[in-house]
Amino acid sequence: MTLLRRELLLGLAASLALMGAALAADPIRIAAPFNVTGGLSSLDAPALNGAKLKVAEINAAGGVLGRPLELEVFDTKSDATTVASVASQLVGGGKLAAGIGFTDSDSALALGPIFQKAGIPFVTPGATSPKLPDQVGDTMFLACFGDNVQAAAGAEFVRDQLKAKQVFLLRDNSAEYTTLLAKYFEAAYVKAGGTIIGHDDYKSGDKSLTAQITKIKAMATKPDAIYIAANPDDIGLVVKQFRQAGVMQPIIGGDGYDTPLLLSVGGKGANDVYFSTHAYMAADGTKPIQAFIKAYNAANKTDPENAFAALGYDTVALVADAIKRAGSDDPAKVKEALAATKGLEGITGTISFRPGVRVPDKTATIIGVKDEKLFLAAQVTPSFVPAP
Amino acid sequence: MSPLLYLTQQTINALAIGSLYALVSIGLSLIFGILRMANFAHGDMMMVGAFATLLLVHAGVPFGVAVVGGVLIGALAGALVERIAYRPVRGSSDVTLLLTSLAVTYILENLGILIFTSSPQNFPLPALLDDVVSMFDGQLIFTRINVLTLAATGVALLFLGWFVTRTTMGLGMRAAAEDLGAANIVGLDVNRLIIVAFVLASGFAGLAGVLWAAQSGVVEPAMGFTPLLKAFIAAIIGGFGSIPGAVLGGFLLGALETMIVAFLPSSITPYRDAIVFALLIAFLLFRPAGILRVQGEAKL
Repeated sequence: MTLLRRELLLGLAASLALMGAALAADPIRIAAPFNVTGGLSSLDAPALNGAKLKVAEINAAGGVLGRPLELEVFDTKSDATTVASVASQLVGGGKLAAGIGFTDSDSALALGPIFQKAGIPFVTPGATSPKLPDQVGDTMFLACFGDNVQAAAGAEFVRDQLKAKQVFLLRDNSAEYTTLLAKYFEAAYVKAGGTIIGHDDYKSGDKSLTAQITKIKAMATKPDAIYIAANPDDIGLVVKQFRQAGVMQPIIGGDGYDTPLLLSVGGKGANDVYFSTHAYMAADGTKPIQAFIKAYNAANKTDPENAFAALGYDTVALVADAIKRAGSDDPAKVKEALAATKGLEGITGTISFRPGVRVPDKTATIIGVKDEKLFLAAQVTPSFVPAP
Repeated sequence: MSPLLYLTQQTINALAIGSLYALVSIGLSLIFGILRMANFAHGDMMMVGAFATLLLVHAGVPFGVAVVGGVLIGALAGALVERIAYRPVRGSSDVTLLLTSLAVTYILENLGILIFTSSPQNFPLPALLDDVVSMFDGQLIFTRINVLTLAATGVALLFLGWFVTRTTMGLGMRAAAEDLGAANIVGLDVNRLIIVAFVLASGFAGLAGVLWAAQSGVVEPAMGFTPLLKAFIAAIIGGFGSIPGAVLGGFLLGALETMIVAFLPSSITPYRDAIVFALLIAFLLFRPAGILRVQGEAKL
């Protein structure tokens, strides 16, 4: 009886000691809402996997400020209403050092005001609207370039390397991302000396673009190339219908094309398609990218699906660096440290924020498709960037 | 491209999209004609049909057989929904019916998300169907899937026309559409009629789902939403509850959408949907019974 009691006491003491250790290493919590399912899943899921990988690496190396990082992951289902309710839930659910998430501007816009009000900094790996930080406030940061940069890089690539003098501009008018991308492309392309010979619209969810394509085919002056601002779940179908109609000019677009659906749905229609994105994720990429691919594959049993995986990874690096420099997980201090980020080497490029600008200046990667395979077509730092 | 060829190509485009709308709309109108109920779950039968086909294809079943299987599974799902969800509330107020069918659509869509995730998945097509038919030096083109969709709509219309005018079961459906209570009193097995109507309507929805997936290249749980919306518009334009009206409405809507893009300047084309919905409101205001249906007369 006494023996048993002593053992019980010992056990109790041991568990108290364990609890004490856990308290000492109280994790630093980072909110991580992502559209793991829905129309944006082909971009968001890889971004989240990349973020998880970096968190695991940091924790294996002893964490930040001696404490492990912990991601509070929520699936926001590519639905703005869910985004808003998850945001409120996160903000009301205990202390957060920062938040990361999303690859599209619309979701980030739905979440932004709630985090802004709570004063918690939020870094998006892939929402590329350069207007986003100013629309939301001083808590919103981008880890990627803005759409004005990638559209300008696309414009210079089309003008200088594809030697296209006249371009037809088609856009999906149902999202902020695609309408802005089209606007920036037009400004940069005209500035680079090109001519836009026509515009047209379609809407995500229309599964037929044949009317628009026929119109382009019937034009008296033929475009040298076609710029299409498209969302990821449509792009495979879009290029396929163009090629089926016999329109074989190069098709150029933004990072919405960086999804496996481009090749799986587009098939050989995806040949001669070019798009601007954040990194070239292939075995012949840069050394850090190669190392990343290896680690990602070990963790997820698949190679990174696209550059958003690398952006998710860099986003965690950016936040961890800020927490370290702030010396605390207090969101207000982390926010200031984030804004002061200088020369942080990521695998998708170097991240620095100019004073008051929460969008980093980064180089855009242009990827092309040949024989139904992706290849690195160019790295472009645009000489002219349209104002956000 | 000559103006004539341009018009021909745009007409082909309009027929291709219109036949899909018509095929979805037929089933919607069949159910509405009999039960006076807007069946929102109709779009989810498209999803069921498309996913069932995809699963069968992945299991190694030849494409043609998989499509038949998908259509049958869609039809079965429709019958189950009627038996489980709609029959207990039959004859209730419009609001109850509306909410029940909305609830069913939420349940089915989220079930789809649970099983398949809401990410779009590639819908593989045999090369034979993916082929493009090209004429006049590539100036006129259409895909085999376009032809198949048009043929399917034609066959569906002819079959239903024959069914509701020549078979006892079909005549019974028309009687039920005329007056459900009276049909019951004169001894028609109304429950059986309604189940058969759901099997037919959902089978057509399943087929439309497969064809929609084939044209768009992807299947996803929310895929039924846009076509359902378009089918409602088509049914209202043509005359809700009338099968020829549904077909006419589907083709008119396809033509309207295509021709707005084809012939109006690009400063107006962004307002395509606004124009379509304005027309819809005009129909509801000035001709609520649609083009074909004269209030209180021949139904289905």
